[in-house]
Amino acid sequence: MPATHPSQRVAYPYFVVALLLFVLQVLVGTWLAVNYWASLPQWLVDVLPFSTARAIHTNLLVLWLLLGFMGSTYYLVPDETGRELLSPGLAYLQLVILAGTGVVGIVGFLFGWTKGKPLLELPHPLDYLIVIGALMFLFNVGMTMLKARNWTAIQGSLLGGLVFLALLYLFDLPFYRNLTIDWYYWWWVIHLWVEGAWELVAAALTAWILLKITGVNRAVVEKWLYVELGLFLFTGIAGTGHHYYWLGAPRYWLWVGGFFSALEPLPIVLMLWDAWQHVKERQIPIRNRLVFTYAIGMAIFHLVGAGFWGFAHTLPQINYYTHGSQVTAAHGHVAFFGAYVLLNLTFFYYAMPELKGISRFSERRGRITFWWMCLAMLGMGLSFSISGVLQTYIERVMGLGFMTAQAQMRFWFAVTWVLGLILLVGVILTVVDLLTLGPAPHADERA
Amino acid sequence: MSAKAAKWIFYLGTLISLLIFLGLTVDTHRQVQTLTHADQLSEQVVAGKRVWHKYNCNDCHTILGFGAYYAPDMTKVYWRRGEEGIKAMVRTPEKLTTWRKMPHFPLTEQELTDLVAFLKWTSEIDTHDWPPQDAKLRRTAQAAVAMAVSPGAALFKDKGCFGCHRMNGTGGTLGPDLTHAGGRLSRATIAKILENPRSVNPQGIMPPPSLNPDERNQIADFLAGQK
Repeated sequence: MPATHPSQRVAYPYFVVALLLFVLQVLVGTWLAVNYWASLPQWLVDVLPFSTARAIHTNLLVLWLLLGFMGSTYYLVPDETGRELLSPGLAYLQLVILAGTGVVGIVGFLFGWTKGKPLLELPHPLDYLIVIGALMFLFNVGMTMLKARNWTAIQGSLLGGLVFLALLYLFDLPFYRNLTIDWYYWWWVIHLWVEGAWELVAAALTAWILLKITGVNRAVVEKWLYVELGLFLFTGIAGTGHHYYWLGAPRYWLWVGGFFSALEPLPIVLMLWDAWQHVKERQIPIRNRLVFTYAIGMAIFHLVGAGFWGFAHTLPQINYYTHGSQVTAAHGHVAFFGAYVLLNLTFFYYAMPELKGISRFSERRGRITFWWMCLAMLGMGLSFSISGVLQTYIERVMGLGFMTAQAQMRFWFAVTWVLGLILLVGVILTVVDLLTLGPAPHADERA
Repeated sequence: MSAKAAKWIFYLGTLISLLIFLGLTVDTHRQVQTLTHADQLSEQVVAGKRVWHKYNCNDCHTILGFGAYYAPDMTKVYWRRGEEGIKAMVRTPEKLTTWRKMPHFPLTEQELTDLVAFLKWTSEIDTHDWPPQDAKLRRTAQAAVAMAVSPGAALFKDKGCFGCHRMNGTGGTLGPDLTHAGGRLSRATIAKILENPRSVNPQGIMPPPSLNPDERNQIADFLAGQK
């Protein structure tokens, strides 16, 4: 069934921009990996410091994931509310503002224009433009839902997550005099995004997709959605404490952070189980098997990256030695890929063919590139982890110097780089596949 | 499970977690004043924090363990390198790094002094003994000083000499091991090095320590005694 509401079309340019930024993000990532193993000449380091490239890599990640969520939301809302978007024109304008701000920001980084806070480097007034873009988005989505008056748990979760997301960003805006307080609220943005607001959005998008592709009873899907959200927020909000162990905060955060974050894998396990049940008990025939592959792959990778890799170093006794090492980098890469990259790609593989009016798309290429990317990222997770264990032991346990440890990790940085190049090829092929989707050769279009 | 129970899990789970979190946030604000020595958070320290942001230091270095993992953690760098060590690294990174390099950043002398004030303040934040390697360094340095109690030994630690020099297996590796300094160098040579390191070794990278003549004599006495 192709997209039935004309205003859903605004999602398509969001997807395209997001995908192009995704390629750029991974490309810059491979350059970062070169910085880790190679010895670059001083003049090059002076012209393009690692810090600049890293700011570009992480900001592109945040930008493309958010644009993907926004596009997905614009696709979902008319279908879910049964009403056209309030203003497609506003949605296009919002895309121009956000993408434009991103491009200006990245060029600015190259010239040293930065706020100097990791992941939130966008300086004033660019960060205000992001707020304006977010407000336009919330207005458009919120008003559409309000006017439709056709509330569902999926809409509530989605809108709640998006409002929460925008509110939290406000904590990035002030200048904090005290470094400890600065980082305390930095985590309100970063942690409460990825383990709070974004999980709400992700759970809503996942529930909706499952509803669409399996045809199971809405009441069942929404019931589990409530339980998942409750567990996500119960473990996630106080779980912020696992970032407060060593930053100059009281010692009770070791208990609070340790306890709540140890429970954080629970909702993810439930999400996987729940997705699996729905797929097993589906009421309608499978049209595009690849969307199922992505949905289940996302749930598994989400559990592995965010759940297992996160749990591995969340307890204070372990975190004392692994905090701020390559172990963190390993977790960050696998978790973002599993939880949010694959979620966006799942949605794109569902929505982009519909927007093109293709009922059954040719999925041979997409199936290969799915496994290609997943295996490359799994390999990267492992090689990052080996570096992390080496660093933890040599630098933290034995107490030798930072560079002494880095020298021993150099080989594994090179391995990570090679795997990153393989990932880059997989990402490019996936993006090409998504942008050039065609009907399956023997598909009965009217089936 | 009924739909009603599911909704209760959602409302109660969220509310309980939120209340705990916000309550502890209020208390944390109170305690952070002491834990970070907020009374010593001077305008110069804040100016130094702005320098830290201005040059995007945090996208290579971690601080409090947060940031990028490309370069050493800066939480306790003041213990490791001291004022002169930090300044030397920023002024002439090419002399102090090997295969992984630090860029030149155009800091003014004022900015550099402010940055050091910020890092000095940061090093005193109570991080519950994190990072382990720096906590260990400080413990062993104090033990080493306690073994040879003298004003010179105490100064040797306080002025950050351990940042580059090792004694009895403790300290940095950038400069020579000084465990047997008194056996290799005369007291006069040591005093000369302390006044101006380049007068003895013109190729050396050691920055001139900021010491008054009394302090210089005491450290020279201490080192000359390490045969």
